[in-house]
Amino acid sequence: MLGDSRKAQEVFHATLREAAQGAAHGELPSEPFWLFREARWRCLEATKNDLQPETVEIDEHDLCAAAASQIEQLDPVQLAIWISAAPDPQRSALALFYLDEFDYREILDLAELKLNELSRLLARGRRQLQAWLDAKFPRPGHA
Amino acid sequence: MKLLSLMRRQRALLNCAPIRADQSVERSMRAAISRVDGAADFISQQNFDRAVARVVRLIPIPAESAEWFSEKDLVPASRWTWKKMMRNPAVLAISIAVAVIAGVFVFNFLSNLNDFPASATARKLLGTAASTRPVMLDPVNAEAGTLSDLFFMKYGLEHYDVPAEFADFGTIGCRVFEDDESRRIAQIWVAEKRMQLFLFPAERDSKTGAVMRFPGWRYVHQEGWTGAVTEHSGVCFMAAIRGRDKDLEPYVATPKK
Repeated sequence: MLGDSRKAQEVFHATLREAAQGAAHGELPSEPFWLFREARWRCLEATKNDLQPETVEIDEHDLCAAAASQIEQLDPVQLAIWISAAPDPQRSALALFYLDEFDYREILDLAELKLNELSRLLARGRRQLQAWLDAKFPRPGHA
Repeated sequence: MKLLSLMRRQRALLNCAPIRADQSVERSMRAAISRVDGAADFISQQNFDRAVARVVRLIPIPAESAEWFSEKDLVPASRWTWKKMMRNPAVLAISIAVAVIAGVFVFNFLSNLNDFPASATARKLLGTAASTRPVMLDPVNAEAGTLSDLFFMKYGLEHYDVPAEFADFGTIGCRVFEDDESRRIAQIWVAEKRMQLFLFPAERDSKTGAVMRFPGWRYVHQEGWTGAVTEHSGVCFMAAIRGRDKDLEPYVATPKK
């Protein structure tokens, strides 16, 4: 979500501190994902004053059979930065989806999205990621 | 239009399909996945997602934060409990429906537990007893047991005999009428506790025409009235009283010879 481990740690600790205080006062919300919702809002808050990505048209490519091998060559940190550079709510959608801990209904709830919005964000994210992979690790015979 | 919308929804679901094949999914997602099972596009998407998820798992987490996480899942699966299951609206609705059906079944079972041939007619006649007024009967001042001759001579009713237990009671009036099934019913009002006596044809088997007999005295109840019914020679006799079984028991307990 942040692409910066220092900021991520700050958000993580702030979220936990808030949870501990809530628990001490017996005020923890009963809904199961409040901690993740809280963390997401803190992440968005933390990047509000950062440099925002320019709204440029990003290339999109169809997924290719070689994508898996291209992805394997990726540095995890680079991928984290790429996801964190996406504008929200695409960033939340991609981060929550590829964390692979939530099903789509939970993501809809956490990111406050509708099914068609999440679907569109993920589909576009995949195509943009494929274009980035193609630029980074060109496929033989692909322009 | 509806089909188009359904296809759009399925397409949207497929874009959000779970990365792991072993992940539990709800019915609409399962249906959407099964429709495209084996399709090249979907396989390519799944491979793509799995590859990305593998790299995401390798994103380093600061040691200070990582120690907060154990090997356990980030989101612990909700534990299945009876209490939780009973709060599920669907389970609750089904439970209530089953309870109502069971209640109706038990009620019917208990209602019919003491049924016997002619019990339905006897209950109807208790309703008749409740609505009968003395002026509706022909005044007759005699012993109930002597009216058998009257029923036979005047109405041609054979075996319409009042049992010995009630034969000595003095009558106030009597009448013969037809019920809604054109069966001829004899009704006698006696002075004893304003009791009413009924004589009516016993039930017959619809196939063989044989009289459906039952031994001894049986009780029926309807709207605060109680009837003691017995059958003899194809004719049922019922003594009806406003009250309970115990009001009739002294009369039928010790049959007179």
